[in-house]
Amino acid sequence: MTGRQAPLLSVRDLKVVFPTPIGMVHAVDGVSFDLEAGQSMGIVGESGSGKTVTAKTLMNLLPSYALVDGSVTFDGRDLRSLAAQRKTEKHLWGVEISMVFQDPMTSLNPVKKVGEQIAESLRYHLGQTRTAARRQAGDLLEQVGIPEPGRRLDEYPHQLSGGLRQRVVIAAALACEPRVLIADEPTTSLDVTVQKHILDLLDDLRAERGMSMILVTHDLGVVKGRTDEVMVMYAGRTMEEAPTEEIFSQQGHPYTEALIETIPKINSASHTRLVPIPGQPPVTTSPPTGCPFADRCRYTTDLCVAQGPPLTPLGDDHHVACHTPVGTPAAETVLAANAARGHTATGLEIHQSGVPVGAVVDGPGEQT
Amino acid sequence: MAGRGTVQLRGGKDVILRVENLVQEFPVGRNRVVHAVSDVSFDLRKGETLGIVGESGCGKSTTARALVQLPPPTSGRVVLDPDSENEVDLTRLSGNDLRNVRPRLQMIFQDPISSLNPRRRVMDIVSEGLEIWSDGDIGTEGRERVEEVLHAVGIDPAAAASHRPHQFSGGQCQRISIARALTMNPEILICDEPVSALDVSVQAKILNLLEDMKARYDLSLVFISHDLSVVRNVSDRVVVMYLGKLCEVGDADRLYEAPAHPYTRALLASAPEPARSVGVADAVLGDDLPSPTDPPSGCRFRTRCPLAIDRCAAEEPLMKKIDEDHFVACHLPFT
Amino acid sequence: MTLPSEVGDAVMATSYTQAESAKARRLGLGFWLPMSWMILIVGVALLAPVLPLKDPTDYFIRPGERPPYPPSADHWFGTDQDARDMFSRIISGARVSLAVGFMTIAMSFTVGGALGMVAGLVRGWFDRLASFLFLVLLSFPGLVLVILIISLVDPTVLTISVTLAIGGIAPVGRLARAATLSFAEREFVIAARTLGARNSRILFRELLPNVIIPMGALVLLGVAAAILAEGGLAFLGLSLEKGETWGKLIRNGAGSRVLRDSPWVAFGPITVMFLTLASLNYIGDYLRDFFNVRETGLGR
Repeated sequence: MTGRQAPLLSVRDLKVVFPTPIGMVHAVDGVSFDLEAGQSMGIVGESGSGKTVTAKTLMNLLPSYALVDGSVTFDGRDLRSLAAQRKTEKHLWGVEISMVFQDPMTSLNPVKKVGEQIAESLRYHLGQTRTAARRQAGDLLEQVGIPEPGRRLDEYPHQLSGGLRQRVVIAAALACEPRVLIADEPTTSLDVTVQKHILDLLDDLRAERGMSMILVTHDLGVVKGRTDEVMVMYAGRTMEEAPTEEIFSQQGHPYTEALIETIPKINSASHTRLVPIPGQPPVTTSPPTGCPFADRCRYTTDLCVAQGPPLTPLGDDHHVACHTPVGTPAAETVLAANAARGHTATGLEIHQSGVPVGAVVDGPGEQT
Repeated sequence: MAGRGTVQLRGGKDVILRVENLVQEFPVGRNRVVHAVSDVSFDLRKGETLGIVGESGCGKSTTARALVQLPPPTSGRVVLDPDSENEVDLTRLSGNDLRNVRPRLQMIFQDPISSLNPRRRVMDIVSEGLEIWSDGDIGTEGRERVEEVLHAVGIDPAAAASHRPHQFSGGQCQRISIARALTMNPEILICDEPVSALDVSVQAKILNLLEDMKARYDLSLVFISHDLSVVRNVSDRVVVMYLGKLCEVGDADRLYEAPAHPYTRALLASAPEPARSVGVADAVLGDDLPSPTDPPSGCRFRTRCPLAIDRCAAEEPLMKKIDEDHFVACHLPFT
Repeated sequence: MTLPSEVGDAVMATSYTQAESAKARRLGLGFWLPMSWMILIVGVALLAPVLPLKDPTDYFIRPGERPPYPPSADHWFGTDQDARDMFSRIISGARVSLAVGFMTIAMSFTVGGALGMVAGLVRGWFDRLASFLFLVLLSFPGLVLVILIISLVDPTVLTISVTLAIGGIAPVGRLARAATLSFAEREFVIAARTLGARNSRILFRELLPNVIIPMGALVLLGVAAAILAEGGLAFLGLSLEKGETWGKLIRNGAGSRVLRDSPWVAFGPITVMFLTLASLNYIGDYLRDFFNVRETGLGR
């Protein structure tokens, strides 16, 4: 969140609530971030963190019964009010802001030729003729690295492999030269060797076109070394936002720290004991008043339970929603106190070394 | 790659499972056949965790199912207690003979929810195995065993008695599956992508649990996954598969620190956090994906391999030893 | 309501005990209204012999007036052309029509369900045989089959039910087979095999409790279809000779003159039949949705 020039995309205190048979589901409960032109940002979170709902809000893809609060500003324009005026803004989503979804098999129409699916966007949004659109579709297929693009134009999705299909989806998303590309778990359903190529492709395309990109994923490894910034989400809220480097080298939020610790590392020897995160995410129908991570965090104090921590700066471009960010003297003190006492303010047992102890016996809806 | 051969098989008294020349083919359409697994051989020692890693279509899950004969393989042998007087080849058994051996090999699956019957209570699901073998009444001993196992995996037996699977989380369902398998007192636990469908923060708990259960119940594990970091973490020995064939077999740490097969190297280099033993250049692979109904001649990996030579098309590479407990099927391995 | 996946993700993190109580509340007016009707009609039909009803075969001629008599305090649904009380005739018809409906479904679901389930689990030659049987039954013109059978046997409640049931075996069997196939692929069935379960155990313990859900929801829809089929048969004159059914009653009141001058003769039974079929359909739909949600957890 630098102040050099107005960011291209600015989200402030976004909240999305869904009325459901079991109550009001607070899918997104206070998310704020900025995206500059040409910048790439990773949104990282587990299932239920609200990352996909956030992405869909930006793309105006929420169901009509969703209740949205907060502000989303794109290039000075208020996206939320534009979303309400469907008729006048036909050429914003899909043109200036575009999206790539997780499963190419379901995001492509199985009974339409691949070239047609790209060309129709060009004809509808940019008013191109059939011939011009087809030619450009072929160009796009080439740009995304599909061999023999001319032939592929007339193929159907099932005739292509998963990796090629995803490239087609990317080509379709880029057809109208968007300024922001949102990729929601674009490689999760693909093999790892293909995954790398697709992510590299997205990087190359972004650099070539000066496009901004939001990469939504549950896999921290996917953003490492790729995005400029990372925002970590948990229970519908922003927990931390920082340059990618710092997320890995100097985490500010205990959740980020725990997340990085818990992942098995490819370079660690076999049988290295893993560090789990005790407990499970809070119930989305009754979000806690305090910090949502409090009952799983080793640094929890009474303040954490009482008051949800606001997003506060921790350094250059680094914001954390925590009363005692990791590494600060306050955090050290609190951890030592919790370890000495044997438990945190929420009753989470802490070992003397500072590592949380998970309870053993549990029933439904309790520990994971 | 994609080679065959049996030099990687070890002998000795502590080998409890040996798979020899396993072939699994499925007819599809009129005259075509999917060569899902083509001549794969490996073994498992007591107390060992064997990791099988590969991408989609490599045949790792098919191999797992073939071990438990569901469905039985097209050809090959799956031998328990090989070279001993109790040796038994599962592929030669059928009907009741096969059923009687089943408790020795249990399995847990990828999707925690669909691994459990949604209509039954968890306690009944976990007791199922004992019920089958005791003709209905498992007795006090049986009930105690079920409770003990539920405690061991971290599920409250009282909750299990009154709730159904959909009332538990994914991680808890996976624990329940593990408990169900453990009641049979198996020798071998086959884990088919057990953590792939779980959140990252839950994976660690389940992996730790498997380690603990392995120690407590004296198990040997066959662990299948596409996630390279997870496989290294749990395995003693690793097998890399591609399009139904074995590429490389060896001690886990050794294989990850000194990968010899170009495909192994590509996998390790493509991981979001690449292994330090390989470089960016190793990740370069051709896009020409072969078809499992008409696999390439010779080495099946040659159509994507940056190092392929004529010999690779003409001659299928055999497994050969390149180091202590390190075998590779390639004409030009890295050494 | 089926929730889109993004909402489902958020909801998955929610405690399910909340969800259970919410679902219980969902059996609202939409369910209880048709249910009340069914309870009423089935109850009255069952209790008819002991209720103070008029004799449906008795003639209640009023001197000086030609029947049919319109609905009045004496005859709630009026009378037919022979001055027989429509109300008691409709209830008498209900006994038969409902009996045929439920018996038909009981038979076709048991036979079709069993065939379909075994075929779906065991596959191989049995599956091929069963599928062929289903194909033949479906291809055979139903009406021809019915007329054929009716002409050969005495049309009683039992024989009519069996005849209609034969026609129902194929669709039910196919449904059962499809449901079994989809469940048989699930990992919990493979797990049961690894535990050492035999086919029979898998069929009854693992598959039946699951397959019965989609099939159960269709039972009521099937009953409605069977009642309607019997009504059609009666209208053609192919149903019971003795006794009343709704179809016969409607046929009786369907002549153009009667319909024009005394519509109640036909519309009494039509209305009751319609309400019954609509209620069965409605409850069947409701139950299908209810169980669908329960199993998959809020529609995911």
